[in-house]
Amino acid sequence: MKFRTGLLAAALLGLTAALPAQAETLRVGMECTYAPFNYRTPDGQMAGYDVDVAQGIAERIGVDLEYVCQEWDGMIPALLASKFDLIVASLSITEERKQKIDFSIPYRVSIGRILGAKDAKLMLFDDAGQPIPEAFKGLRFGVERASTYSKWLEAKLPEAEVVYYDSNQSMLLDLQNGRIDIAITNPMKAYLDFLSKDDGAGFEFVSPAIDEVKYFGPGVGVGLRKGNDELLKRIDKALAEMIKDGSLEKYSHKYFPFSIQPENWKGVD
Amino acid sequence: MSFDFALIATSLPKILQGLGLTLNLLVVSTLLGLLLAVGILLMRLSQHAWLVWPAKAYIYFFRGTPLLVQLFIIYYGLPQFGLLRHSFLWPLLREPYWCSVIALALNTAAYVSEILRGGVLGVDKGLIEAGKALGLTKFQRASRITTPLAVRLALPAYSNEIVSMLKSTALASTVTLMEMTGVARTIVADTFAPYEIFIAATIIYLVLVWFIQTAFTLIEGYANRHVRKG
Repeated sequence: MKFRTGLLAAALLGLTAALPAQAETLRVGMECTYAPFNYRTPDGQMAGYDVDVAQGIAERIGVDLEYVCQEWDGMIPALLASKFDLIVASLSITEERKQKIDFSIPYRVSIGRILGAKDAKLMLFDDAGQPIPEAFKGLRFGVERASTYSKWLEAKLPEAEVVYYDSNQSMLLDLQNGRIDIAITNPMKAYLDFLSKDDGAGFEFVSPAIDEVKYFGPGVGVGLRKGNDELLKRIDKALAEMIKDGSLEKYSHKYFPFSIQPENWKGVD
Repeated sequence: MSFDFALIATSLPKILQGLGLTLNLLVVSTLLGLLLAVGILLMRLSQHAWLVWPAKAYIYFFRGTPLLVQLFIIYYGLPQFGLLRHSFLWPLLREPYWCSVIALALNTAAYVSEILRGGVLGVDKGLIEAGKALGLTKFQRASRITTPLAVRLALPAYSNEIVSMLKSTALASTVTLMEMTGVARTIVADTFAPYEIFIAATIIYLVLVWFIQTAFTLIEGYANRHVRKG
């Protein structure tokens, strides 16, 4: 009996302790395998630029977060099916996606670049920075399914021999193994965990920065289901604060030797 | 969430673009797997331990591990050996198609050899003794008595394996192949509508399975045409 009373008291205490804060919990969808944007550290903690941004927003709007790991090609369907409430997963703000979901203001740049072997001496773009379709003949071109890169690729090079991947890691692995000749991906990420490592020693960027707003949008934003205007306003306000007080800039430099903010973006080489 | 029936209809022809590759994977890996299965069966039924044990180990390994893992080992694992990437095998293993065919064939061979062994063991010993009494050679007994009866006994289980193989071809989508599931996943990525698209894919798989089942019913009927049905 004594034990039960103790338990009850503890439960009541827990309840009253939880009540005043009344923190709402938002579930955040991300891949959890997209270092350094969102990934798990060896001890199982979530980390990365997206995670920092999500955490920064949560502190400013006063909510608790719960992370949900979701494969990339099911990210938007999972949000629509209410598996989580926000996408903070390096999701670019595009017109097509905006028809299904709402976006916050951008919190980093959205840019693609093509990787290829140094030996191949590829000349794929003209002086105006546009792809030369003939130059891509006979090249196997890797891209992530459902990415902004795939939209750009399908629109600009409909004849290209495209190989679709479910994850960035498997694509870079096949590039190293020689199953594909070139691959389009995020240059910040490619620089950090491929080109600056042994694995990527024989590779380089073989394209200029590709960032046409039509395909890449104004940047990467937080995604929400439509009809959450009040929450969207709170998130936009928090992000604007974080841009102003330099938090986003600080987060960039935690992972990259350069800024990934639209205002301060100078490219990678 | 709204459900869009029209989307099922419009996505069907797109998914059907992957039908050729699905059937190709099914037929090629089933045939290669059957050839391999017969070899393993002969080893497994042999009197020599040095033939029996490798066959047993093979069956244990391929039945005991997930097909997806086997496919990943072949597709991602093998190229880690630089030697292989410069060998004569690389032109084959470079292709996701051949990696998938090899994985499917190796896997099904393990199951089929056991299905066939079940058929062989089911043949009445008395019939083989009768063959001996008539003076048939060992080869004649195998080709005239054991094989036809064993095949007849194994057919129902074998049709099961073919249906299972059809579904296994969907795993090829994980190594970049655009068979039906690969196409479906790509359309989902564009439309953000998983229910409608995967239901369309489901319909096509069910129709294919119906064809396989019907074909096997006919084959079984033909194989058992001498058996009087009471």
